[in-house]
Amino acid sequence: MTGRILAAGLMMTAMAAAAPRFVEMPGDSPLVTFRVVFLTGAASDPAGKPGLASLTAAMLAEGGTRKLTYEEILERMFPMATSVHYQVDKEMTTFSAVTHVDNLDEFYRIFRDMLLDPGWRETDLRRLRDQQINFLRVSLRGANDEELGKEVLYQAIYQDHPYGHHNAGTVSGLKRITLDDLKAFYGNNYTQANLVFGIAGGYSPEFLARVKKDFAKLPEGKRSEVKRPAPKKIEGIHVRMIEKNTRSVAYSIGFPIEVTRGHPDYIPLLVASTYFGHHRSSGGRLFQRMRQLRGLNYGDYSYIEYFPRGMFQFEPDPNLARPQQIFQIWIRPVEPPTAHFALRLAMYELDKLVREGIPEEDFERTRSFLSKYVNILTKTKDAELGYAIDSLWYGIPDYNSYLKQGLAKLTREDVNRAIRKHLRTDDLWIVVVAKGCKELKRKFLSGEPSPMKYNSPKPKEILEEDKIVERWKIPFREDGFEIIPVEKVFE
Amino acid sequence: MFRSAVLPILLLGGVVLAQAGPVKKAFPWKYDQYDFPNGLRLVTVPTDFPNVVALYIVVAAGSRNEVEPGKSGFAHLFEHMMFRGTEKYPPERYEAVLKQAGAASNAYTTDDRTVYHTTFSKEDFEQILAMEADRFQNLKYTETVFRTEALAVLGEYNKNSQFPIRKIFEVLRDTAFEVHPYKHTTMGFLEDIEDMPNEYDYSLKFFDRWYRPEYTTIVVVGDVRPAAVRALVGKYWGGWEHGSYRARIPQEPPQKEPRSKHIDWPSPTLPWLAVAFKGAAYSDTEPDQVTLDIIGSLGFSENSDLYKKLMIKEQKVDVFGVDNPDRVDPQLFTVIARVKKEDDVAYVRDQILAQCREFREKPVDAGKLEAVKRHLRYSFALSLDNSEAIASTLAAYIGLRRTPETINNLYALYDKVTPEDIQRIARKYFQENRRTIVTLSGGDSK
Repeated sequence: MTGRILAAGLMMTAMAAAAPRFVEMPGDSPLVTFRVVFLTGAASDPAGKPGLASLTAAMLAEGGTRKLTYEEILERMFPMATSVHYQVDKEMTTFSAVTHVDNLDEFYRIFRDMLLDPGWRETDLRRLRDQQINFLRVSLRGANDEELGKEVLYQAIYQDHPYGHHNAGTVSGLKRITLDDLKAFYGNNYTQANLVFGIAGGYSPEFLARVKKDFAKLPEGKRSEVKRPAPKKIEGIHVRMIEKNTRSVAYSIGFPIEVTRGHPDYIPLLVASTYFGHHRSSGGRLFQRMRQLRGLNYGDYSYIEYFPRGMFQFEPDPNLARPQQIFQIWIRPVEPPTAHFALRLAMYELDKLVREGIPEEDFERTRSFLSKYVNILTKTKDAELGYAIDSLWYGIPDYNSYLKQGLAKLTREDVNRAIRKHLRTDDLWIVVVAKGCKELKRKFLSGEPSPMKYNSPKPKEILEEDKIVERWKIPFREDGFEIIPVEKVFE
Repeated sequence: MFRSAVLPILLLGGVVLAQAGPVKKAFPWKYDQYDFPNGLRLVTVPTDFPNVVALYIVVAAGSRNEVEPGKSGFAHLFEHMMFRGTEKYPPERYEAVLKQAGAASNAYTTDDRTVYHTTFSKEDFEQILAMEADRFQNLKYTETVFRTEALAVLGEYNKNSQFPIRKIFEVLRDTAFEVHPYKHTTMGFLEDIEDMPNEYDYSLKFFDRWYRPEYTTIVVVGDVRPAAVRALVGKYWGGWEHGSYRARIPQEPPQKEPRSKHIDWPSPTLPWLAVAFKGAAYSDTEPDQVTLDIIGSLGFSENSDLYKKLMIKEQKVDVFGVDNPDRVDPQLFTVIARVKKEDDVAYVRDQILAQCREFREKPVDAGKLEAVKRHLRYSFALSLDNSEAIASTLAAYIGLRRTPETINNLYALYDKVTPEDIQRIARKYFQENRRTIVTLSGGDSK
């Protein structure tokens, strides 16, 4: 690979400066990959207008430009087999696209106008607003209990905080947004100071010079604020239950952590979380104990960074960088009769992790895994650009070297110390999506045993452990429960 | 471990750039194809993407092979069982090796194939290849383990059951097909899934029948040399025994009347509509399926007039697309829409049917046809930007014809499609007695 520009000295201050940044990876590929990030997002939504950042990005990526209507854009992009994707998170808004060098000029002219000269048509607004409302109401609330649980967990943890609403906003907020709001948000946030422009592949130096000149037309602006208040302290176990007519019971469990990329405990905690519940992998401890040995559900995982859309993909999307993250456990839907036991088992395993740490053998194995797996994370140019931009934001060297170097000098004790320091079983949120929340709440509070029945003989070790798990005490608080009808979520 | 039911048609393939001068082959990489005496086939594609190797093992057995009643979903369950270990590599050891190697590993099952895939660094190639060879030849699990795994499949059904689109395809297939195994989805009927724990013996039979070298193709893509790969595959897989089983897949009788079904969804949703016609089988020699692909793109993709009308101008739908999967036997050509208002479902249905009629009655614009062909070429070129992506695309075609050459044949066919072909194929397939319409609605989401 040519053109890694991330020289170490640059990084700590790179994002603080008020000039646009370019992450350049020129090469021989017949493809050109764009990843254009603006350092703004849902955390900058003004009061009363949650969804503004997201709708603004949608208007750019899926609306017309001043010259072309959206239909005309589709028509021109179609033969090139290219389209522009957007992603809005709390602190970053990303526009990405890949085009063949044959079509570079033609594609770039449209792409540039989409970002620099949007059309702001009322009819685009109407369509995209509907789309976003339907995403929240129908796709997320109505048809994806797992993602719903995860997003509600973030909302519970970040009450009265700039991260307290879904990136797509709320239904009422979206309904209030006008074209003037969109233009104002665009004017204030889509600035040179907020721009990080990633480009990779077979483009020429002349092409890059042209891009730089074009994007210098954005107003200079100043960097959007990223200092965020600490999330509210959680005292005891809090449970938010979403009442919904659904077949099975979905759980998300979590609490805020102060650890992000660049923090001295990031790598130790990443090792811990990978060992405990690497995403969609059958090698994690939780997966082994819950699914593999007991057949409770389809999978069980843990995270130290935001990872949306996990049910559709194996690797996380880049450019979801945040100055605050949470530790999270994702329990995939369980059959109602085993729901209480499954929650107890997850909490029992978390307790074991906190008390006993990572076994020596697993430490070595997980360390080896991560130092190679990082190559797979950055296997496409798009991902490589995305990770490079995130590294710039966090002020760390490129992610591969950061991880490999950190892992090389890591000890098991570092991991166990980080586990003890940052993970816990007492002050946290549990989100439940289920039918019959009242009864489930009663069971949780009663502390009554929840014995497992299996369809086949189990080893003694499991049966003995079950005796402990079926009575495992989760210190619920009588006043720690909320039951919310699903229709109320995201409104 | 179950592929999304609706793939945009244009992700299903494409051709490489036919630039000025002699037409280039659609599959642009040199590959080495070799048949071992036991029937196993190896396809090796060396690429210039450094360090990484993608190993895709394609078994030509999917839910189409579930011919006995009560056994739907078995190919997929079996995919799960393949992770339950051997004497030499019990699951813990198998996991440990993958972990040590930093490998990304998984599997999926679809109508016609089951694919086991692992991506890793080249220095771990021999070990992973040997371990895979061991499980394909020496898989061993107890009934206890089998019963537990069957529950994980039920868990998978549960997490899938949230999505209305899954239910639509389940009902669509059940309504459109009478005897062909495409009647059920790869996931299977719920009652069969619930009965799976009792089917240990059948699972052993399934393995014995289908997990055989003559049904298996190994695809290796990445930083490798073909001669070395061939030697290693011979070393670890050469002793695998050829089987004797041949399945008779029941052929679907012609449909005699249009069919329809409505699904009451238990929770609020926007209404969905699926308009399907019995389609064509995959072919790299006959024009039917490629022409239907092009029709799908012209009539119902993002660039179609109908998409622009319903989605952008009138804003009556918020999801709109087409599904025309490449399958061994004829599957369904399906147009899918999510409609914003219940009252508009009939209107949207009539618009889709009118578009189908128009394909029968009027030749399409030659310029628009060329745009589709160009789109196909670029979409293919853009999709193959790393070894894993190449292996993944290849696996889909290997599952159909066992050779990358089929891609070259296929895209030569795309290039030849004319407006007259489109009219002829539309007349053949868009007939009332090939049609099934499924609608879904529930609650009031406004």
